Amino acid sequence: MDLGIPPDVPFIILATVTIVGAILALQAKELIYGAISLAISFIGIAGFFVFLDAPYLAMLQIAVYVGAVVVLILFTIMLVRREVVEETTEHEEGGESSMGLWIAGLLAVSIAGVAALAGPNLPQTVQPANLPISELGPVLAISYPVPLIILALLLSAALLGALVLAKLERGQ
Amino acid sequence: MIVVMFLTWYERKVLARIQLRIGPLYAGGPGGILQPIADGVKLIFKEVMIPYKANKPLFIWIPLALVFLAAVPFAVIPFGQNWVIANLDVGLVFVFAMTSLFPSMILIFAWASNSKYPFLGGLRSLFQQVAYEIPMWISALSVVLLAGSLNLVDIVNAQQKIWFVVPAFLSFVVFFIAVMAELERLPFDLPEAEPELVAGWFTESSGALYMVIFLALYMKLYLMSSLVTVLFLGGWQGPAFLPQPVWFIMKTLVVATFIIIPRGVYPRLRVDMLIKIGWTRLLIIAIANVFLTVLMLNSGILSPWGL
Amino acid sequence: MVALSSYIIVSAALLGIGIYGLTVKKNAMRLLFAIEIIVNAANLNFAAFTRYMSPPQVSGQVIVFYSIAAAAMEAAVGLALILVAFRLNGSIDVRKLNKLKG
Repeated sequence: MDLGIPPDVPFIILATVTIVGAILALQAKELIYGAISLAISFIGIAGFFVFLDAPYLAMLQIAVYVGAVVVLILFTIMLVRREVVEETTEHEEGGESSMGLWIAGLLAVSIAGVAALAGPNLPQTVQPANLPISELGPVLAISYPVPLIILALLLSAALLGALVLAKLERGQ
Repeated sequence: MIVVMFLTWYERKVLARIQLRIGPLYAGGPGGILQPIADGVKLIFKEVMIPYKANKPLFIWIPLALVFLAAVPFAVIPFGQNWVIANLDVGLVFVFAMTSLFPSMILIFAWASNSKYPFLGGLRSLFQQVAYEIPMWISALSVVLLAGSLNLVDIVNAQQKIWFVVPAFLSFVVFFIAVMAELERLPFDLPEAEPELVAGWFTESSGALYMVIFLALYMKLYLMSSLVTVLFLGGWQGPAFLPQPVWFIMKTLVVATFIIIPRGVYPRLRVDMLIKIGWTRLLIIAIANVFLTVLMLNSGILSPWGL
Repeated sequence: MVALSSYIIVSAALLGIGIYGLTVKKNAMRLLFAIEIIVNAANLNFAAFTRYMSPPQVSGQVIVFYSIAAAAMEAAVGLALILVAFRLNGSIDVRKLNKLKG
């Protein structure tokens, strides 16, 4: 298995933080600790974006995911508290748990294996990238205007949907 | 750090003058300037009580993280032409991302106190801060439109002919109000409403913890004031007989004064009125201002000033 | 500079973790965590590939931008659904949420 250029230390540290954060998010006993480690994992992914010369995406990731989605998650956890504390001491039946583990594990290992085996054929070094932020805007608005408008419509639909759902449960 | 100490003394002096008192005079030194040190010493010696079922590790870590978060964006704010630590091309979005982390930490902290009043205060504070972030950044957007860049140094440079407060006056007003709301200063003081909820989301922190949170709040104040200065008031520009950072600090202090003064003057806003104003009025004014800015730019009214 | 394959391996690991969470966990909140992890893995993949193309393009970042926005929206709606389901059924164990009515 030839990985080409071996990953350097900052990359390994960031990868470890992200992956461990993801595992903890699912396995932690208390949901709130899980949410916090999910936030840490998101920050790790933002760090990856910085490595990949996409600082705007990194800031957006932090602002949107950690700033908003995690807040929503925390909010929901705090409103669902009582039952949840009992649920977290889960005992998955043996069959379910091991089958899930097998599927996920096989998928992940196969993708990783393909990546590693094809390692020498994939780009090893990068050309100096010139991805200024000022280019992002025109591409968004001029080259792909339709997805932009669809995104706006989707946002409004999601907002309306959430409002309707909130009214629904208030009316019970 | 020094700035924060100075700021707390300054605030109490200003408040006291407004309330026709003399203010802290007793702590010795010229005009009571040692007061913040006395405060700090007192707070360190106070016992750090952690409520019974509270979440210990979270309790201790989060105030520290808050202070860290409040200090980090200073790295991108330019104090002078070459006096900036990290000239990020996306400087403004960086500050935006960091400030949007505050509400989540406050929520975790409020929940970790495990008692009713801090949690309620935390929820209110969360609503307030989240609601006012959006008008804040949309009005900053009109500044970005005028300057043509997200880089804070470029924004200051683009103000050489005219400070942005003049063409973007409405967004200056909106930004200022939103900043006051974000910092939880009066008249938006409900999470800290002294007669009502004792001290809001940090009720349960005492001693060293309180000092740390205090530090974070005042650092945020200074951060926001310097952001107002950079975006609207021309950053570090001034006649050359004083070095540039001095101009910047002076302007920031002026802004901070204007933020502190209303605390002694206005009555408090109710929480639902507060949120309604944020989401409806301010947001509409901010968006209208963006349109206005685009119109002004396109029609060439601003060309004498190189915009 | 790291080789592209390292990024793919990290992304695959995250994908595996997400799928594990999605198939095994019975707490609805954890399912949502797992979905967010999977979306993040895909975003990381996109960003890595767009950087390592020759020449690097900016349209890959646009895709990630849309993906972040869409995933955030979906998380919001999903959380609202969980709240409603909790109010109606008193539990967020997905094995108990098996009635279509009420």
